[in-house]
Amino acid sequence: MKNPDAIVIGAGVVGACCALSLTNAGLKVLIIDRGPVASGTTGAGEGNILVSDKGPGAELTLAIRSRDLWFDINTDIGGGFELEAKGGVVVSRSAKGISDLKKLSALQKENGVEVIELDGAGLRKIEPYLSESVEYGVLYPGDAQCQPMLAAAQIIRAVKKRGGSFIQGENVIAINSNAGSLIGITTDKNNYSCPIVINATGTWAGEIAKLAGSHLPIMPRRGFILVTAPAPKIVHHKVYDADYVANVASSDADLQSSAVVEGTASGTILIGASRERVGFKADLDISILRQLARQAISLFPVLSSIGLLRAYRGFRPYAPDHLPVIGEDANISGLWHAAGHEGAGIGLSPATGELITAQITNQSTFIDPTPFSPKRFQGSEYVAV
Amino acid sequence: MHNVVIVGGGPAGLSAALTAAVAGAPVLLLDSNPRLGGQYWRTPADNFGDQNENHFDLATGLKLINSVKAQSNIQVLSGAQIWSASHKDGVSTLRVIYQGSEKIINTGNLILATGAYDRSLPFPGWDIPGVMTPGGVQSLIKGHGVVAGKRVVVAGSGPFLLPVAAGLVKSGADVVELLEANKSWRWASSILVLLENLSKIKILENLSKIKEGFYYIEAISKGKVRARFGQAVVGAYAGENGELESVDIAKIDRNFKIKKVRNIKCDVAAIGWGFTADTSLAGALGCKQVVAKDESVVVLIDSKQQTSITGVFAAGEITGIGGSELSMIEGEIAGKSAAKFVGCAVDISRSDLIIRAKKQRFAAALIKAYPIKSGWRSWLDEQTVLCRCEEVDLADLKDSIVELGATDSRTAKLLTRCGMGLCQGRICGRFVVDLVADQLNISPTDIDRIAAVSRPIITPIPLGVLAAGE
Amino acid sequence: MSQFDIQFTFNGETISAISGQSVGAALLAAKQRTLRKTRFNQKGRGVFCGIGVCFDCLVVIDGASNQRACITEVISGMKVQTQVGTNA
Repeated sequence: MKNPDAIVIGAGVVGACCALSLTNAGLKVLIIDRGPVASGTTGAGEGNILVSDKGPGAELTLAIRSRDLWFDINTDIGGGFELEAKGGVVVSRSAKGISDLKKLSALQKENGVEVIELDGAGLRKIEPYLSESVEYGVLYPGDAQCQPMLAAAQIIRAVKKRGGSFIQGENVIAINSNAGSLIGITTDKNNYSCPIVINATGTWAGEIAKLAGSHLPIMPRRGFILVTAPAPKIVHHKVYDADYVANVASSDADLQSSAVVEGTASGTILIGASRERVGFKADLDISILRQLARQAISLFPVLSSIGLLRAYRGFRPYAPDHLPVIGEDANISGLWHAAGHEGAGIGLSPATGELITAQITNQSTFIDPTPFSPKRFQGSEYVAV
Repeated sequence: MHNVVIVGGGPAGLSAALTAAVAGAPVLLLDSNPRLGGQYWRTPADNFGDQNENHFDLATGLKLINSVKAQSNIQVLSGAQIWSASHKDGVSTLRVIYQGSEKIINTGNLILATGAYDRSLPFPGWDIPGVMTPGGVQSLIKGHGVVAGKRVVVAGSGPFLLPVAAGLVKSGADVVELLEANKSWRWASSILVLLENLSKIKILENLSKIKEGFYYIEAISKGKVRARFGQAVVGAYAGENGELESVDIAKIDRNFKIKKVRNIKCDVAAIGWGFTADTSLAGALGCKQVVAKDESVVVLIDSKQQTSITGVFAAGEITGIGGSELSMIEGEIAGKSAAKFVGCAVDISRSDLIIRAKKQRFAAALIKAYPIKSGWRSWLDEQTVLCRCEEVDLADLKDSIVELGATDSRTAKLLTRCGMGLCQGRICGRFVVDLVADQLNISPTDIDRIAAVSRPIITPIPLGVLAAGE
Repeated sequence: MSQFDIQFTFNGETISAISGQSVGAALLAAKQRTLRKTRFNQKGRGVFCGIGVCFDCLVVIDGASNQRACITEVISGMKVQTQVGTNA
């Protein structure tokens, strides 16, 4: 594509949503990725679209908006990515956990999230196989799920139908600017002139930012997911232990894990969730798989006889202040970053796209974008792990 | 205590076990089946009585099995399934499901002999109950005393079709068609290679193959079965009960493209196209794999049968599809190498190497004699199921490439679920690589082929067993 | 020739088998070829590879889904059912 209006680097779910948003605003968008669609973290995602795991703040506002936008996108592009408003159930079994969950859900309710408290009987009415040891939980009807690879692929397909294009197999090696204004990028195969570039490279966004002389301290936070054999319908919602919220918010590099269990449209059951900062270590850590299995069985004892079929790992893009990076580069105008969503990339990408597009096209934004601005890292020293 | 762990109780594993043990190295032999013998020497439970009728050379197998059982320094664990394995700092860790719970086996000295299974190619209707593999039909006869049906069509390519047809005839089935996709002169060419390899000293050994051939031919002619060449099953149809009722048989050209079709009634179609090695365990350990001349992925080994990992050896079909006799000599050599590795005074002999070379030449000749040509792709229609487990058809696969932008097998797989079901791509993985490359107008790369056989979780493990392990 | 010495049920119907046989073999001998219906398209499937590799011959045995009939040995009194999707 000659002379695109905007280039999006990264064909994951965030890049796809940015591209769609910009395309729908009338821009001609070129997506570039060094690999195929969803070859980064998106391809290892569970498909979480959650409003339940965030306390009040900018990220929750983004999440609520984004969740609704997913359903708009579904209608807009004609579906095809298993979007399901399945609802989430957060449970806790410790006195402290229950008390924290009560407080959190009350705050979330004040901020526009629908919450329904349930006791043991109420829980087992909607999740019959949930362990008898669980006596308190909160249902979040707003939580949803999709198939992330299909989502990215279907969105990119729509972008292409609407005049955009997608080039894969090109590595960006330079970001070119003139007097603080972006003029284009260079890949290992081509030169592109373009006034607007969006860095949607997720876990690798720091490397791209470096090409522009900017500092984005985004680091990999490894996670594993267990996939069972196609199983009878055992889990009806996304069910997770309230510890999950604390894990997400933790800055500990050591292994954090808590039970997250849900079924999928294809019949498999997905089990997470683990978090650790081990760089890009690619091996399958069996001890972590065991722990995830134990935690899942603790919530759903019948899972004991269900077979583990495969496991995969991904590297969440983690920013040390636990907020995604969405906004214009500190040094180069025209260069925008949309990355660092940690484990919420899928859930937050439509609103990310909307926020970026609004700023690029000088429209009003639905939320004050300042907390997400990459400028917050200017002059700071984060040590990458 | 054992010094050598061997995985696989077929011809290669058994030979390796006996050789290593006799050389002085205590052996632990793991096999996933209830009885030793692998596929080749599959036998039923003891109460079924004498089985020699059903095999050409079961006597050889039984002798080897009994020797292994009688060898005091061989411990056998039958019904042992390895679900995961890794190698680090000279130690291989095998995580085994055995009698319902997990066993961890660590060893510095390992022989992999995990064998092979029938290679399948898709065609319209191949998922109808009644369409099976030749190995499946044979396993039912040899292992369970059951004939899969009454009117059987045996088809595909390769010398394996002969013993399967013979076994069916001996069991009373009516083999209505025996179809070899390649031309008859290929059979002759493989006999020529065989004759070329006759040596004055080991003449009886080599005659075994000719004897074997005649054994099958005799059985088949007794059953009045006519072998037809240059023909293949290209379609299958179900009756009202949803089960196999008839097949389309096509005269095909040398590229396997359809020339003329006829339909015949049958209730079983046993169709196979050679074999696919099961290298899942080798891959999980990190052994280097390469693509062989028949495009199967095999484990790379040196002249001592050692893989790219020191102390990990491999023998049999996983080093290259080559039949039972090659498997046995490879097993013997691997057994010696492994025994030597732990300090036993044993050496690979010159005659070992000569025998192996001879069997390898024969195996190579067979592969050359029975090529699988790309024309099979033209037998498919849009609704032909490719991934049986996840019901992904050709239209779905094409869509993932044309509409959703997949440009490699892995992405196509992740977008369609092709290869992500229970069998983890064992049946479809190999041909999906070809179909994806076809669609993209490129040649499949070795990387693609090797990636398609990657299975870090080798067999499903119940979550409860996983949770209970250390 | 061995004698039928074991009985089990398939969808409630009594099937005879010889000890040592697999469920798949015994069902085939009793002319029961359709063992399951697939999850998405409800297509009938039966024994395909016969050696435990393809996972097509899935049946529900004593309430447990995803059991490979071809490698599961018959036990007296076993309750085998057609697997429809992922359940009995």
